[in-house]
Amino acid sequence: MGSLFRSEEMCLAQLYLQSEAAFACVSELGELGLAQFRDLNPDVNAFQRKFVNEVRRCDDMERKLRFLEKEVKKDNLAIDDTGENPPAPLPREMIDMENKFDKLETEMKSVNSNQEALKKNFLELTELKHILRKTQQFFEQAALYQQDQETHVPQQYDDETPLIASEFSRSFNRFGFVAGVLMRDKISAFERVIWRACRGNVFLRYTEIEAELEDPHTGDKVNKYVFIVFFQGDQLKSRIKKICTGFRATLYPCPETPQERREIALGVMTRIEDLQTVLNQTADHRRMVLSQVALNIRVWLIKVRKIKAIYHTLNLFNKCLIAECWCPVVDIDRIQLALRRGTELSGSSVPSIMQQMQTKENPPTYNQTDKFTSGFQAIIDAFGVSNYREVNPAPFTIITFPFLFAVMFGDMGHGLLMFLFALYLVLKENRYMKHKPEDEIFKMMFDGRYLILLMGLFSIYTGFLYNECFSRSINIFGTSWNVRAMNFTDNDVFLATNPVVTLDPNKPGVFRGYPYFYGIDPIWQSAENKITVQNSYKMKNAVLMGFAQMIFGLSLAFCNRRHFKDKLTLYCELLPQLLFLCALIGYLCMCILYKWSVWTVAQSNTAPSLLIGLIDMYMLTDPKSNNRVPLYTGQYQVQIFLVIVTVLCVPWMFLSKPYILYKRSKQKKGVQHNRLWYTCLDSQSDDDVAILHHENNDANYGKQEPESLLIIMLISQFDMSEVIIYQAIHTIEFCLSCISHTASYLRLWALSLAHSELSEVLWSMVMHTGLATSGTSGAILSFFVFWFFSSLTVSILLVMEGLSAFLHAIRLHWVEFQSKFYKGEGYIFSPFSFTLI
Amino acid sequence: NKVSSFKIKLENGGFLEGLVRGFKNGISKEDYRHLTQCDTLEDLKLHLQGTGYGHFLANEPSPLTVSVIDEKLREKLVIEFEYIRNHAYKDLATFLDFIKYSYMIDNIILLITGTLHQRQLSELLPKCHPLGIFDQMETVTIASTTADLYNAILVDSPLAPFFKECISEEDLNEMNIEIIRNTLYKAYLEAFYDWCQQKGGATADVMCEILAFEADRRSIIITINSFGTELTKEDRAKLYPRRGKLYPDGLLELSKADEYEAVKRVSELYAEYKPLFDGTGNNPGDKTLEDKFFEHEVTLNVNSFMQQFQYGVFYSYVKLKEQECRNIIWIAECIAQRHRAKIDSYIPIM
Repeated sequence: MGSLFRSEEMCLAQLYLQSEAAFACVSELGELGLAQFRDLNPDVNAFQRKFVNEVRRCDDMERKLRFLEKEVKKDNLAIDDTGENPPAPLPREMIDMENKFDKLETEMKSVNSNQEALKKNFLELTELKHILRKTQQFFEQAALYQQDQETHVPQQYDDETPLIASEFSRSFNRFGFVAGVLMRDKISAFERVIWRACRGNVFLRYTEIEAELEDPHTGDKVNKYVFIVFFQGDQLKSRIKKICTGFRATLYPCPETPQERREIALGVMTRIEDLQTVLNQTADHRRMVLSQVALNIRVWLIKVRKIKAIYHTLNLFNKCLIAECWCPVVDIDRIQLALRRGTELSGSSVPSIMQQMQTKENPPTYNQTDKFTSGFQAIIDAFGVSNYREVNPAPFTIITFPFLFAVMFGDMGHGLLMFLFALYLVLKENRYMKHKPEDEIFKMMFDGRYLILLMGLFSIYTGFLYNECFSRSINIFGTSWNVRAMNFTDNDVFLATNPVVTLDPNKPGVFRGYPYFYGIDPIWQSAENKITVQNSYKMKNAVLMGFAQMIFGLSLAFCNRRHFKDKLTLYCELLPQLLFLCALIGYLCMCILYKWSVWTVAQSNTAPSLLIGLIDMYMLTDPKSNNRVPLYTGQYQVQIFLVIVTVLCVPWMFLSKPYILYKRSKQKKGVQHNRLWYTCLDSQSDDDVAILHHENNDANYGKQEPESLLIIMLISQFDMSEVIIYQAIHTIEFCLSCISHTASYLRLWALSLAHSELSEVLWSMVMHTGLATSGTSGAILSFFVFWFFSSLTVSILLVMEGLSAFLHAIRLHWVEFQSKFYKGEGYIFSPFSFTLI
Repeated sequence: NKVSSFKIKLENGGFLEGLVRGFKNGISKEDYRHLTQCDTLEDLKLHLQGTGYGHFLANEPSPLTVSVIDEKLREKLVIEFEYIRNHAYKDLATFLDFIKYSYMIDNIILLITGTLHQRQLSELLPKCHPLGIFDQMETVTIASTTADLYNAILVDSPLAPFFKECISEEDLNEMNIEIIRNTLYKAYLEAFYDWCQQKGGATADVMCEILAFEADRRSIIITINSFGTELTKEDRAKLYPRRGKLYPDGLLELSKADEYEAVKRVSELYAEYKPLFDGTGNNPGDKTLEDKFFEHEVTLNVNSFMQQFQYGVFYSYVKLKEQECRNIIWIAECIAQRHRAKIDSYIPIM
């Protein structure tokens, strides 16, 4: 296993595969997932590659399987998921699989078409049944109406009984009629068209079929109407029939007399029953076939996908099955083992050969991660994948990220909640790994569970330091302050008039001489000037931590330079950068620490201001001349020296590197001209020598030929202006960023202040009101207030505040920390692996 | 007040416009070059998988036929269009319906012609464009005269307003149908043009340009096709849509034309159409006038995508997709019939 500090060493290897063993070898490599194959024929079309036919066959198999899967899902059968991972079958098994799937597909299709035909038959019969039933109603109504009218003479026409209806009912025997079934959504259009096309000479009745019918083709439920049209004459009949076909209505023969109708109805009923049994049998058969399919379909799908992936990979190889791949150097043995296994499996006698190649190309970046580090690596990769073998900030991020987060989120209680949530995810990890969570946000949290765990842990730690638990302080070790020592008597006038008293640490006994054992003294919780005091601490802390992280970033840059043997940048860029940062910010940090440790309470009235001191330093004024107390003796001289160093660093950074590069290129040009001239002379004077020279070169540099050397020289011509501009930008950027990045670290203080204030507000405005009420009503109120308080704590303080602190921590890492050393211009290693498909 | 107007525009169709712009990306020039190199339809399918068309053929068993490809391409377009139509409301819905009307006209004419030639309805229906299907469509076969057609069937359909001019008691015959088709189209184009004009703004700018060209193209084609038929010049003049650039002077001249050269002379007076007539001919290697028209149409439609917040993109999207489908089908036909000489004469979409 490699370390996270740098990405794995990679090498470009060439594989010579025997044609019969190639499939098995690639299959083994796919299971291993350690080799990234390069496309060796990028200008060949997808359909002109070697194994395109096999890929197509796989496509076809996949299509059949998809069809079968759809059928299985249609029947609501559970697909068997054993989690088994079958190896890719050998190519000769492909034909068997094809045959099997083919047989299943044709069987399924025939079952389906059978079923469809049966269902269609069934549908027709049911429709006929409904027609008979409904028309019966029409006829009965008509008969009733007739009787009605005979009894009620003289008849009256009101608006609701249409003229035609009455005429028809008197003599409906003379009319012909057509009965049928129509889709519900078409009925109104149908009615209108029929009315218009027949010029109102027909009579249409329709009614809805209550039961939903099943469309035999799609299997959807549809609503239909039964209609009956009465008309006179053959011409109208043919016209109506045409309209019916136009609207895709199905027409059924319907006898005129009630007796015949009853007979047919009886016949229909028995036939429906028969059909129902046949339908059940087909459904059983179908279910049997499908349950067989459901058992195996997952394994089949995996197999087919694997075969397809293998052929896709084989398509990347060149015509003689020579492959090029990137692989980690440490895993070469495992790859070779896999190749040997593949060769043995295929039964080929000639072994596959693997050979390392020299190359000028940038290898991909491969960081081996596990479930713990992957979350942190993801944060880094989101900014940019590191260059090959560049220092990877991920291992440091594991600690610095949760720490900086916790500085902004310091609260024991909130940290504990966060920790417990992450702990739950970690403990239930196996369950969630198996059943991937669907919810995107939850998935993100789950992926970062170890990050959240550490964030919670560090928050508890900083919470202890800030002495805050849901904004309350805990008094464990006993405060260092003593109010009694102020010698107030019980009826002191001062106490009676002033709500606030000042504790003077200079009075003996008020401050016990040594601070609270750990973190901030709980007495500050009740102090009026709590925020002012804490601000001073937190601000200075932020600067100290910022400086530490930036210096650390620069030291990582040293590692990079030494690793890449870039002495020029090391001495001409990094060294002045380091000096600049130390002289500017480092000195400030030193002052902070000095003042904290040397200046005591007794001198607090005369203590110099650090800010004024810093301004004086750059105004080059002696603190004594303004009657200010110096921080330490010799301050003026030290400061003058540091300012000179700072100023000198700027031209050092800016000019030295371009100058040396310029010198070097001048030298090189002279040498190259000479060498070129000699080569030309050689080839002119004696061809044999030139050829010999050529061969020598070949042997020495592999692919590098004299011609290509010449081209490289021409390309890499030195461009002075570009170098200067580049260097100027870098210098300016660094100098400015020293100030701005330090200022940027103050967000640590700002967010921490915001967090503690917000939780304070939540406590005093919500929870405190509940607890302050006494008696039974207070108990009930507390009960409800607690729900309010806890939900607000989770939603605002944990989720919202946590998210904002998270974002700021990310920014501090990406911008302030990584800009010091990280290039992030690499590309990620994406090996051919079956687990990814 | 730009922000508020922007907002209003966004509310009505901003989302859909974005969608359409996404749908538009289909096949690049490079892809066309690759497609023409395919040897079989299977190759074509494989290559189309890598384009914006994706896996639309993935569930089709081989062997593939051109008609299956055609059907699937059309199905894809229809699904996309119906999705947009279902999300549109107010003006945009009307606009999209206008696009559909032209397909309805084609479908009706197809059905009537089919019935005249004693074809079965079931045989004709698959040939109808799915965008132009409406409830009463399939009953047009019962009509024997145009008045019948209108009174019984089309009066309820959205096409009714376009039908006013062609009602007569004459029986339906081949000549009649052509006249109906062109009169319908004329009425449709004029209505569409007027609607866009009244809508104003960028929609009017873009759409009037396109529709004017469409109108002129029809006038020119009608004139050329009428040579040697029984159609009188007066009748012919009635079929010209009166919204194009040729209206009114050009159409007057066109109605007098007797031969191809005369049409050419008239068209050459217009700067837009002059280049279309140059270099056309029936010699091998020459492009036909029709192809030139198509190319010009494509240019206009592509230009319509240059402007935002207007409905022209929807029209152009449908037309461009159709052209793209025609191109794919053309290439597929050439491959299927092993007729590679003409495979390059598709109309590229820039």
